[in-house]
Amino acid sequence: MMFEHKEIIIDDNNKLLNRENLFYKEFQSDYRQVRFFSMVIVQKAPPEIKEINLLEQQISELIKNAVKHGNKKDINKKIKVWAAFDTNFAHVIVEDEGKGFQKIEEWNEFNFKRSECFENQDFDAMEKYFAYRTDESDENDGGNALFATLEYWDGGVVFNSRKNCIAVYKNFEKKKHGIDLNQQGD
Amino acid sequence: MEIKLKKYSTTYIIEVVGDMDLYSSFELKNIVAKMITKNIRSYVVDLAKVDYIDSSGIGVLIHIYSTIKKSNRILKISNVHGSVEKVIKLTKLSQYFPIVGSVKEALLQIEQTKKVE
Repeated sequence: MMFEHKEIIIDDNNKLLNRENLFYKEFQSDYRQVRFFSMVIVQKAPPEIKEINLLEQQISELIKNAVKHGNKKDINKKIKVWAAFDTNFAHVIVEDEGKGFQKIEEWNEFNFKRSECFENQDFDAMEKYFAYRTDESDENDGGNALFATLEYWDGGVVFNSRKNCIAVYKNFEKKKHGIDLNQQGD
Repeated sequence: MEIKLKKYSTTYIIEVVGDMDLYSSFELKNIVAKMITKNIRSYVVDLAKVDYIDSSGIGVLIHIYSTIKKSNRILKISNVHGSVEKVIKLTKLSQYFPIVGSVKEALLQIEQTKKVE
């Protein structure tokens, strides 16, 4: 394999699934409120985090998948979210009450082939891999959210073995070229 | 999300204003589908006023680009910036999408393509 390839991990004992020191929120599976829920979570992030829009979008995808594909928009089912933020990281866990994303292995394989085509800039072949679809996908499903999830959350993307709970971790780079205000006047 | 249409020569500029998210992105898909039936040949989707896109929005861009390409029409996507640019990069589609810097550049490129044809 000549290119860097990432995949979704399935591991109940992975440290990303540890909820210690994370804050907790739960929501009803109201599809209309997916972005609102995501904003409720992201407002806990420190203001130093740049690209808060992008962080909100990435969390929103996880919540949307849980509400739509996990809980099938059943208002009586809950979405549970645990999260922690600091200036250098974001750690989020989203759990639903659905039957789980059972096709993770198939998705990993699909994503591997997709990465291969993209690495080779094979645009014709790429078209087959723009969207991952299952029998349950509808026309409003982009089918591309998890590709970006895996890229964005560079500290890992992990599911539990029931596959109804996803944990993700993002490292934020420390500012490299800034003016240190404490140094002024030296 | 709001969509404003402008016409320049035979090209339609579709200016998207607001978030392209799970609630609104389909509107762009519907408008483009209608425009294709009206035999419009060239399109610029201008994202200067879009600061947020999610996987539904990306899905719509993929859909309209592949539909436009298949029917031998031309599309340019202009003014991709900020988190929209980041999401496109994360999805590894920056090379695939016909992205140009500005509406002006898009129109120039479309004119050149038409001359060659």
